[in-house]
Amino acid sequence: MFKSGIGSKLTLKLDAAELGVLTQLFDQMAELLEDPDSENNSDPLAKLLNMSGSTQISEDPALARLFPDGYSGDEHASTDFRRFTEQDLRAQKIAALSVARETLAEWSGKSTVTPQQAQHWLKALNDLRLVLGTRLEITDEDDRYRDSDEPGIQLYNYLTYLQGTLIDALT
Amino acid sequence: MTYVTYVFQSYFGYDKPKAELLMLDVHEKGRAVVSSGTREEMERDVAAMHSYGLWATLQKDD
Repeated sequence: MFKSGIGSKLTLKLDAAELGVLTQLFDQMAELLEDPDSENNSDPLAKLLNMSGSTQISEDPALARLFPDGYSGDEHASTDFRRFTEQDLRAQKIAALSVARETLAEWSGKSTVTPQQAQHWLKALNDLRLVLGTRLEITDEDDRYRDSDEPGIQLYNYLTYLQGTLIDALT
Repeated sequence: MTYVTYVFQSYFGYDKPKAELLMLDVHEKGRAVVSSGTREEMERDVAAMHSYGLWATLQKDD
């Protein structure tokens, strides 16, 4: 769990099981984020002009949730928006994830998290929750109580709990 | 405080009552108008919401 520590820093405490499961889940997130549909990335000129972002929403529901359309009911505008923003959004998500993975990789019993790192943790944890929620087909609050014996649901509830402790520590 | 309330407060700088009201709107109606302005400003806000994992879209006012 996260706790507010000295000054504006936070303390993160995890037991061995939590550390293991978070490390594994964040590793899977990295694979998901770092392996985009790359057929649009082959044009070096487009890459240079930062226009190589894809234009279509992903068919993978989890990626579609992380990279949703920017406009409702305007396909053309959504296409343009995605072309110019998706690469940056992906880079931001990867950066947030890297900070969280670094904290875990350098683990020594507990960890101190700076306010800046905490903001990355907040985004990385929420992205992870979104992906897991999509995979588990959690669509509303009640689904969380669907079957708490289900390991996926237990994980989801754990992530919700951890996110809650982070927000409490920040506010 | 919920994640959504936290994001509305920290990104838009809304006070807690306003952020909570918007969060409840999202929760109950599935959506809420959280920001309005020029197209450029709104594209920036939508992109920021996506970076927080919030499902924001932009719509033209008629």
